[in-house]
Amino acid sequence: MAGPMVFEEKEKFLERLRGLVREGVPGERIRVITPFGVPEVEEILPRGRSKVRFFALVGAASGTVTGFAFTILTSLSWPLIVGGKPIVSLPPFLIIAFALTILFGALSTFAGFLLLSRLPSLRGIRSGEEFGNAFVILVEDGERQ
Amino acid sequence: MGIADRYAKVDRDVLAAMKRPGRVYLAGLAFTATLVVIGGALWAYQVRSGLGVAGYTHPVNWAIYITNFVFWVGIAHSGTLISAVLYLFRARYRTSFNRAAEAMTVFALMVAGLFPLIHLGRSWVFYYLIPYPTQRQLWVNFRSPLIWDVFAVGTYFTVSLVFFYVGMIPDFAAAKQHVAGIRKKIFSVLSLGWKGTEKEWRHYGMLYLFLAAFATPLVASVHSVVSWDFAMSIVPGWHTTIFAPYFVAGAIFSGTAMVITLVVPLRKAMNLHEYITDDHFESIAKILLFTSLIVSYAYIVEFGLASYGENAFEKEAFRYRALGEFRYLTWAMIFCNSLVPLTLFARRLRRNITFLLVVSLLVNVGMWLERFVIIVTSLAHDFDPYVWGTYRPTYVEVGISLGSFGLFFMLYLLFVKNLPVLSISEIKEHL
Repeated sequence: MAGPMVFEEKEKFLERLRGLVREGVPGERIRVITPFGVPEVEEILPRGRSKVRFFALVGAASGTVTGFAFTILTSLSWPLIVGGKPIVSLPPFLIIAFALTILFGALSTFAGFLLLSRLPSLRGIRSGEEFGNAFVILVEDGERQ
Repeated sequence: MGIADRYAKVDRDVLAAMKRPGRVYLAGLAFTATLVVIGGALWAYQVRSGLGVAGYTHPVNWAIYITNFVFWVGIAHSGTLISAVLYLFRARYRTSFNRAAEAMTVFALMVAGLFPLIHLGRSWVFYYLIPYPTQRQLWVNFRSPLIWDVFAVGTYFTVSLVFFYVGMIPDFAAAKQHVAGIRKKIFSVLSLGWKGTEKEWRHYGMLYLFLAAFATPLVASVHSVVSWDFAMSIVPGWHTTIFAPYFVAGAIFSGTAMVITLVVPLRKAMNLHEYITDDHFESIAKILLFTSLIVSYAYIVEFGLASYGENAFEKEAFRYRALGEFRYLTWAMIFCNSLVPLTLFARRLRRNITFLLVVSLLVNVGMWLERFVIIVTSLAHDFDPYVWGTYRPTYVEVGISLGSFGLFFMLYLLFVKNLPVLSISEIKEHL
C-alpha cells in the first residue's frame, strides 16, 4: 500500500479524491478515513446504500411477530378469563407487539452495524495508529489502469 | 484560525471537562451522594418494616412513589425528542444539547425504574412482572397496563441506552487520542476500534438514522402507556381519553425544562458558550412554551369535560381538585405550568438565561405537582363519600424521593466528568 495522503482541510481532501478517481484508480482500492461523516465521499466513491437497513426491517418484523405470538400463545396455554376480556385480546397485545417491534428493530440494527462494519475490531482497539482530525486517503497497491 | 486548529479546539474544549474536578464539583458530588445514601437507607428501612412506614392509607394507595415514577419517565422524554426527533427534522441546534439530553434520558429512566420496585413493598419479588416460563405454567396478564409498562419502559431504556452509546462511538475514538492511562484503555475498548473509514461512516449513518426512527414513536408511546396505568381504571379524574396526549405533552414539557436546568450550569461551569449559544437556548425555550400551551389546553379540556358532562363523580373529582384540601398544590401547578411559561412569549426573556433557568425550575416543580395532584386527589375522593380519605407523606417517602433526585444528579455529575458532554464529531461536521 502506498503511504497515506493526509489532508487538514476537507476541500483539499475531496479534490484529491476526485482527482484519483479521474485518474482511473478503481474505487475498491481507495480507502478514506475522516474525523466525521463526509457525504461527498459517498458521491465520489459510490458503494451502494448500507445494508444495515435490512437488519432494521428483519428485526422489526420479527419483533412484531414475536410480540403477537408470545402474548397469544401464552394466553391460550392457560385460558383464564380476567376482567371479562377475551382470552386473545388483540388491542392490549398490540402494545406489547409494538414495544417488541421497536426493541428488536433497534437491537438488530445495532447488531447489523457491528457486523457490517466489522466492529469491535481488536486490531483497531490495540492499534496506536491515529490520524486525529486529518482526512486521509489510502490507496492499496495494484496496477493503475 | 485554520480549520485544523478549529477541529483541535473542539477536542480541547469538550474534553477540558475531564480535567481534575474543582471544589464546587466535589461538593456537589458529595451532597448528591449523601442524598443517595439517605434514600437508600430509608428504602432498606421500608423493606425491613413493610409499606406501613409509607404514608399510604385507604383509599390513597398510590402516592409519591408513583408520582416520582411518572415524573422521571416524563423527564426522559425530552431527551429522545431532542436526540431523535430533532435529528429527523435536521434541526442543527440539536447538536448542542443532544448528548446532555440523551444522558438525561438514560439516567432518568434508571431512577424511574426504581420506583415501581420501591412501591411494590415486597421489592424482591419484582420479577413476577417479567414473563418467564415457570413450573406453574402461569404467565403474566398481558391485558394489564402494569405489564405494558414493563415492556414500554424496558424497551425505552434499552433503545435509549443503545442510542446514547452509538452516538458516542466516534467520540470515544477521538477522545482516546487526548487522554492517557486507564482512561485511554477504557475509551479504546468503548470505541470498539473505530477508525472512521468510509465503510464505518456509511453504516453508521444508516444505523443512526434508523435508531432515530425507532426512538421517535417511543416519544409518543411510552408516556401514553404510562398514562393508561391511570386511564384504564374507572377512577374519576383518571378515566379519560385525553390522558395519553396530555401526558405526552407534559412529559416533553417537563423534560425540556430539565434539559435547561442541566445545561445552563453545564455551559457556565465548562465554558461552552461557543457551542451552546443563546440562540440554541431560545430554540429550546420555544419548545418549552409550545408544550406549556398544550398542557394548559389539556387542563382546560379536563375541567371542561367534567363540568359539561353529566357525571356527578367526575364533577366532584374536579371540584375537589380545584377547591379541596390539595387546592394550593393545584393552583401552584397551574401557576408554574401554565402562567409562568407565558412570559417566554417575550423574546427578551427567552434570551435571558438566568430567567430561563428560573422558569425551568418552576416548571419542574409544577410538573411534579401535576402528577401528585392527579394521583392523590383522584384516589382520595372517588365514588363513595364513606371511603373518602386523605394522604400525608411520611419522612420515609420524602427521603426516598429526595434520594432519587440525588441519584439523578449524582449520575449526571459523574457523566460530565467522564464522558464527552457534546457530540465532538457532529460539531466538527457543522464547523
